Amino acid sequence: MDGSVKVTGTPALELRSVRRVYGFGSAATTALDDVHLTVPSGRFVSLIGPSGCGKSTLLRLVAGLEQPDLGEVLVHGVTPADACAAKMIGLVPQSPALLPWLSVLRNVTLPQKINRGAGRRRERIADFAERQAATVPDMKELLVKAGLGDALHKLPAQLSGGMRQRAAIVRAFGLQPDVLVMDEPFSALDEFTRESLQDQLLDLWEELRTTVLFVTHSVSEAVRLSDTVVVMAPNPGRIVESIDVDLPRPRGERLFGERRFHEYEDLVRERLRRAWSSEAA
Amino acid sequence: MTVADERTTAPVAKTPPPVEPSRFSLKHPRSRIAWIRPAVWLPLVVMLVLLGGLWHWGAEQLPYLLPPLSDVGGSLSDELGYYVHNALVTLGEATAGLGMGFVGAFVLAVLTSELPLVRRAVMPIAVVLNVTPLVAVAPALVVAFGFGPMPKLIITGLICFFPILINTATGLRSVPQQVLQVYRTMDASRVELLWHVRVPHALPYLFAALRIVFPLSIIGAVVAEMSASGSTGGLGTAISVASSMNQLPVVYASILVLAVMGVLLLLAVTVVERRVLYWHDSNQD
Ligand SMILES: Nc1ncnc2c1ncn2[C@@H]1O[C@H](COP(=O)(O)OP(=O)(O)OP(=O)(O)O)[C@@H](O)[C@H]1O
Ligand SMILES: [Mg+2]
Repeated sequence: MDGSVKVTGTPALELRSVRRVYGFGSAATTALDDVHLTVPSGRFVSLIGPSGCGKSTLLRLVAGLEQPDLGEVLVHGVTPADACAAKMIGLVPQSPALLPWLSVLRNVTLPQKINRGAGRRRERIADFAERQAATVPDMKELLVKAGLGDALHKLPAQLSGGMRQRAAIVRAFGLQPDVLVMDEPFSALDEFTRESLQDQLLDLWEELRTTVLFVTHSVSEAVRLSDTVVVMAPNPGRIVESIDVDLPRPRGERLFGERRFHEYEDLVRERLRRAWSSEAA
Repeated sequence: MTVADERTTAPVAKTPPPVEPSRFSLKHPRSRIAWIRPAVWLPLVVMLVLLGGLWHWGAEQLPYLLPPLSDVGGSLSDELGYYVHNALVTLGEATAGLGMGFVGAFVLAVLTSELPLVRRAVMPIAVVLNVTPLVAVAPALVVAFGFGPMPKLIITGLICFFPILINTATGLRSVPQQVLQVYRTMDASRVELLWHVRVPHALPYLFAALRIVFPLSIIGAVVAEMSASGSTGGLGTAISVASSMNQLPVVYASILVLAVMGVLLLLAVTVVERRVLYWHDSNQD
């Protein structure tokens, strides 16, 4: 199974026969087995699948937080470790993971003070010129755009859950990453907040057009956000299908009323059900 | 910007100029105002009066155990200079020892958090020594190092060392996984991670240790003074000399001064803690 579209140049993400096993002997869990995935630059890709099918594991491999036991992970043609060293990867975890002693503004500007040599390393990595030149973005402006204009100098504890998660997203976008990886960033939020955050995520993304790898449990979220929805199955964790979502952008609220949107939802849901039953088998 | 999000604020031009946040913005003034109400202070005052009466009665029954409060007060006011001088000696020993213990413990805590090998070697021992009553070593130290300030600094330093070490090491290592992952994907160096993430995260743990250790440091200094019978100063010496000469008012006046000193130190820690941990839950009410 392969999530590839016709690729020109180096893909943003490439996983080849990736395998990841936790534990040893009889206690071993195969979190990922024989995973192939190719994501061209600038695409929004969602991973969806039953709990325990290795979505988070896949993200951790891409973000360089773990090594595969077999196979190869490449980010713009280099290893995740090199990509991290060049600050090409932005991570939005499930919890906002803000530093409680820093104001929102200082939370999102802290990454600029960290690993200052990354810019030079990034320039040396191939096909850099094709992508946007990484100028330092105006973080205040980004925060205002994300609806946090009034919260610049507040502490995370003074924000609502949705606002915190927005700050975490702005922090990741502020890196102007080549690849943005997000692990169920909206799962702890109520439905209304979740939809408004999807809007804002899409707004930011339309502007910066970085490649996104997005883990979610919500079918409608996956269809709404993505160019490609990758369906995974557990035991062992693997990719069973990748569905290209051919809906026009920008995808506002009107989309929810459209038949094609629901057809895509049904399609993904049906593939997910198969993934579930394959587990039961 | 999409219309769907009503939380979205107005466009750039309309945002108010940024204001520096008040450092105490999270705190309510309730705790300070509350002391005006009799319901809050009256129980304490009644209790103090009762205890005073009990003391007075006890001093009449057992004159060899308790001096009259008036004698204690008289001794304090007549020889204030004597008490202040000795208090400063004890305070000097306590804080100097604490300072040494603090520096050593902090450095070792950083080492244990960064080097698993050091952690595995040191932490089990630290945990055992932390629950060992180290004041008991004081007499032996006096035998080894004489009547000078040395044994007093060692004992206070030692007493402060392990709580600070254990708490700080715990704090440095308890940064949430997801926070670490965010900064690891930026390839933050160990020093950057320490400075920007681990040390600030450990500060509440450190202050919790300081609250324990400040009173302990005074106990350490006093016990060391009492063990060194030839010492020249300090409230511990004052107490042991006075009790050997049966001067009960001096003994209790010294104890009172020690108590006041302890309270003032704790107050100082609290004030500093409120400034440094303006962001922490413990300061939100
Ligand atoms: N650090 C670990 N040690 C041992 N096993 C692990 C570890 N991380 C993940 N696993 C196992 O690997 C499998 C995949 O886990 P993973 O977290 O990637 O799933 P997931 O798809 O993200 O699930 P969820 O949707 O519940 O978040 C699971 O069976 C899990 O038990
Ligand atoms: Mg997961």
